[in-house]
Amino acid sequence: MSTSADKLVDDYLDRLERELADFPPARRRELVQEISEHIAEARAGLEPENEAEIRNLLDRLGDPADIAAEARGSLEEQPATAAPAPERRSGALDVVALVLILIGGVVIPVVGWLVGVVLLWISSAWTARQKLLGTLVVPGGLALPAGILLFATSSESACYQQPILGGGDEMICSSGSTGGQILGSIVVALLGAASIATVIYLGRRMGRNAGVAAA
Amino acid sequence: MVAAQDALLTQMRRGTLQYCVLALLADEERYGFDLVRGLAEKDGMVTSEGTIYPLLSRLRRDGLVESSWQESPSGPPRRYYRLTDRGRSALDGFRLEWRRFRDAVDHFVERKASK
Repeated sequence: MSTSADKLVDDYLDRLERELADFPPARRRELVQEISEHIAEARAGLEPENEAEIRNLLDRLGDPADIAAEARGSLEEQPATAAPAPERRSGALDVVALVLILIGGVVIPVVGWLVGVVLLWISSAWTARQKLLGTLVVPGGLALPAGILLFATSSESACYQQPILGGGDEMICSSGSTGGQILGSIVVALLGAASIATVIYLGRRMGRNAGVAAA
Repeated sequence: MVAAQDALLTQMRRGTLQYCVLALLADEERYGFDLVRGLAEKDGMVTSEGTIYPLLSRLRRDGLVESSWQESPSGPPRRYYRLTDRGRSALDGFRLEWRRFRDAVDHFVERKASK
């Protein structure tokens, strides 16, 4: 092993070390070690080795400043690329929360919706404001309008068809003001629409929040 | 002109080189030097071999590859790299996107050249 070759390698590693001066010591040590192992491997393949070949080898490795610049770039990227992991973990639960808020109360009255609300509040996919909206519009989700509808139809007395003189049938309902029925239908429709709209809104927010975190 | 071409090559490598590393690890584990020489064999892929090491370190931190020390028949132990499941799905995703991108670029660039 020639001493001039050793000197070239030592100089190279010294320069690399200087370029990495502002790095965390562990990162610097690791990188310098890897580069010096690379040099050792490459030198083992040179037979016989001479100064020109060592110079060529170090040329191929590149300017220590370039290696440091590459390492610096990946240091800066680190926080952004590390972020998406926890986000992905909560994704499935977030969807379950929205489904339960919408129809959980229909499947298991009250409890199904409550579970959805709890999942909504422990999730990190929404802001407190969005969570409040999801809870208050509409309490119980679709179960509320469904409940009103059920109550209304069961209390409503039967309608029957009565033939009228000119031919054809006429629908006769014995009780319940038509005005009240129309109003009831409107309320049910509005509650249902509001509930669905809220869940769609939260679903879109969820996607957007995750997109921002992953970018 | 040469400087502009260098800048272009640097830009193109920046986005694609890490997937070439993942692809080299798709079938077998490799140690650093072997990996770097594998990349450098192909003309135009790597200008400075030393920059692969910071890249490997980032891939490791991102969980796309993992490494372990193994005895070497000659000299000190070597750090072997292998693909993780996450690395494999990243590579699969890139393959799809790359084909689409390459075809799209070819569609415009190659057609003009042949006319």
